[in-house]
Amino acid sequence: MFKAMLIKEFILVWRDKYALAALFIMPSVFILIMSVALKDTFNRERTLLNYAVIDQDQSLQSSKMRIFLADNRALQEQHVTISGAAERQRALHENLHFVLTIAQGFSESYTQMEPEGSKLQLYAAADVRPEMLSLFKAEIALGVTRLRIEKMKTELAPYLPELVQELEAIDFHGEGLVNVRFNALAADEKPTSTQQSVPSWIVFGMFFIIIPMSTIFISERKQNTLMRMSAMNISIPALFAGKIVPYMVINQIQVWLMIAVGIFVVPFFGADALTLGRSISGLFMVSLGLSLAAIGTSVLIAVTVATVEQATTIGGIINILLGAIGGIMVPKFYMPSSMQELANLSPMSWGLEGFLDIFLRGFGPEAVVVDSLKLAGFGAGLLLLAGIVFSYKIRRGI
Amino acid sequence: MITIKNLVKRYDDLLALDHIDLSVGKGVIFGLLGPNGAGKTTLVSILNGLTGFQEGEIEIFGLPLEQEPAAIRKRCAFIPQALALYENLSVIENLRFFAGIQKITGADLRHNLDYAISVNRLQPMLKQKAGTLSGGQKRRLNIAIGLLNNPEILYFDEPTVGIDPDGRNEILETIRNFKNDAKTVIYTSHYMPEIEKLCDEVAIIDRGRIIRQGLLETMLQEEKTDSVVIELLSSNSAQLHELVQKLEDVEVIDAATLVMQQQNSTKMGALLAALAAENITLKEIRYGTTNLESLFIRLTSSSHEGSDV
Repeated sequence: MFKAMLIKEFILVWRDKYALAALFIMPSVFILIMSVALKDTFNRERTLLNYAVIDQDQSLQSSKMRIFLADNRALQEQHVTISGAAERQRALHENLHFVLTIAQGFSESYTQMEPEGSKLQLYAAADVRPEMLSLFKAEIALGVTRLRIEKMKTELAPYLPELVQELEAIDFHGEGLVNVRFNALAADEKPTSTQQSVPSWIVFGMFFIIIPMSTIFISERKQNTLMRMSAMNISIPALFAGKIVPYMVINQIQVWLMIAVGIFVVPFFGADALTLGRSISGLFMVSLGLSLAAIGTSVLIAVTVATVEQATTIGGIINILLGAIGGIMVPKFYMPSSMQELANLSPMSWGLEGFLDIFLRGFGPEAVVVDSLKLAGFGAGLLLLAGIVFSYKIRRGI
Repeated sequence: MITIKNLVKRYDDLLALDHIDLSVGKGVIFGLLGPNGAGKTTLVSILNGLTGFQEGEIEIFGLPLEQEPAAIRKRCAFIPQALALYENLSVIENLRFFAGIQKITGADLRHNLDYAISVNRLQPMLKQKAGTLSGGQKRRLNIAIGLLNNPEILYFDEPTVGIDPDGRNEILETIRNFKNDAKTVIYTSHYMPEIEKLCDEVAIIDRGRIIRQGLLETMLQEEKTDSVVIELLSSNSAQLHELVQKLEDVEVIDAATLVMQQQNSTKMGALLAALAAENITLKEIRYGTTNLESLFIRLTSSSHEGSDV
């Protein structure tokens, strides 16, 4: 019986080009676009801030200050001429994050600690993120510190040559001082945009079975094929099982197709290839839980609404809302804490966290047991509710 | 084969079936005739175990339906009024799917598929998608699906709705042939000529009650009287009622039908003159015969009159 249902559902989905596009092409394209679009997010060599310096001091110290700032690869000095407040404002509005003015007399006053004596004036664009402002201020402070150490070195050289030698060896950016190792990754491994975006879009894509599954179910209800199946001794649990099994298989095909896109296709577009993590069994646990959750949602929609049009609209809205709340479109770490708590209510968030545990954090199956059980429980609950609604409707001849 | 005793079905306050008693023997083509909303589909749904009932007993193949629905359904087929098939699957894919979910395999599958295909003349269109078939071909596929379990009882719920006369005749021919295979057919319809052409026995159902049942031939014979049925082309009910008040022994059946209880040339002359005076055109005059339609009209209209009192 399940074989017949499996074949039937496969043929129906295969012949529905819109369903195919929603199930397989759309999430694959998402993975490709997001992996490529975000590929620089994890690149520690990329420029984060553009700035200009107005050097009114024209001293050795002001020149060195510019060199020190340029040492940080996240900062990029733009050599533009800014000769007034209006030009500065325009530049900050258009392409610069900061304009640093080094006023005349800086070379004499940089050793003073009082703000009123400072010859450094920083102008920031209105939309600069607070952490970027902190980064740039810290870099300026580091530049001033280096200038002061240089002065000390010059003054101490005749008396304490050993100390000066030690001071020469200071690594101001900590490249040789701090060894960074990412949690659960190998020493030479770094998190990539592909590892971040593939899980999100796998989860989102899996929930897209809501549309073909509910529309096929409603068509069957409308055309009396479900009634005919009941007359052929197919019980409601068997009927539901006949839906669950094929769509679980379809979901698994989706998961592995999208993983294949991450591994083999994404690198052709310049982004990092996906790596599978260390737990295939964990991957199966999360994806099967997600399948049940998506199928439960689909069947409940299918037995509740009256028409295919309603199912398509409601299914699409639910999918997008769950995705928005669950951290698919906006990663949870960008959300305020109240939104993060709300995100934890979305099954998509449970699935995403499970996949991130496997793909990004490199955990084993034990890490995803809770999320997988939550997903399976959610799906089973919705299926039970759908069964009650469907039985009621059959009894009432609706 | 099918025995129904004192069957009652209610939907909240609506009495859909009112103490139905019915018996259908093996190999009979049994017509369930009634106007829309009479309770035919409800009765067929109950017999297929798709809907429950509040009172009464039903036995099919000697088995109680309430206790043995699965065993009974295995030996029956329900051909619903709607085309219960998959338009995006081909004819053979539809047949294989419905056979598969009934766990029909091996030699049984081959035999039953061949039977369903040949009886319904589907061989030339096996690979065609069901959605591309004509209305009549879809109806035949709908029937073929019902034959896959080689059923002993077939329930047809208005199977010729929405198809042209040629397609309708083909389907009636197919159903008539089931008699040769000793299959029992329960056929619901409100098309009287179909029932008259097809059925051996008939039950007339109206407002949830069976108002007449028996052998069709006997029923028509019993109804045969000296009456004369006058069919009219144009008139209205009020006009006819006014007209018959002046005449003896003439009844209005509906807006286009009059019945004179006894043949009488004087009275007939008076009736024809009155009709001519009112400019009412005649369509047909039938002496001494009763067709199912006039029997049905008489029974259902008297049933409605009785219930109005």
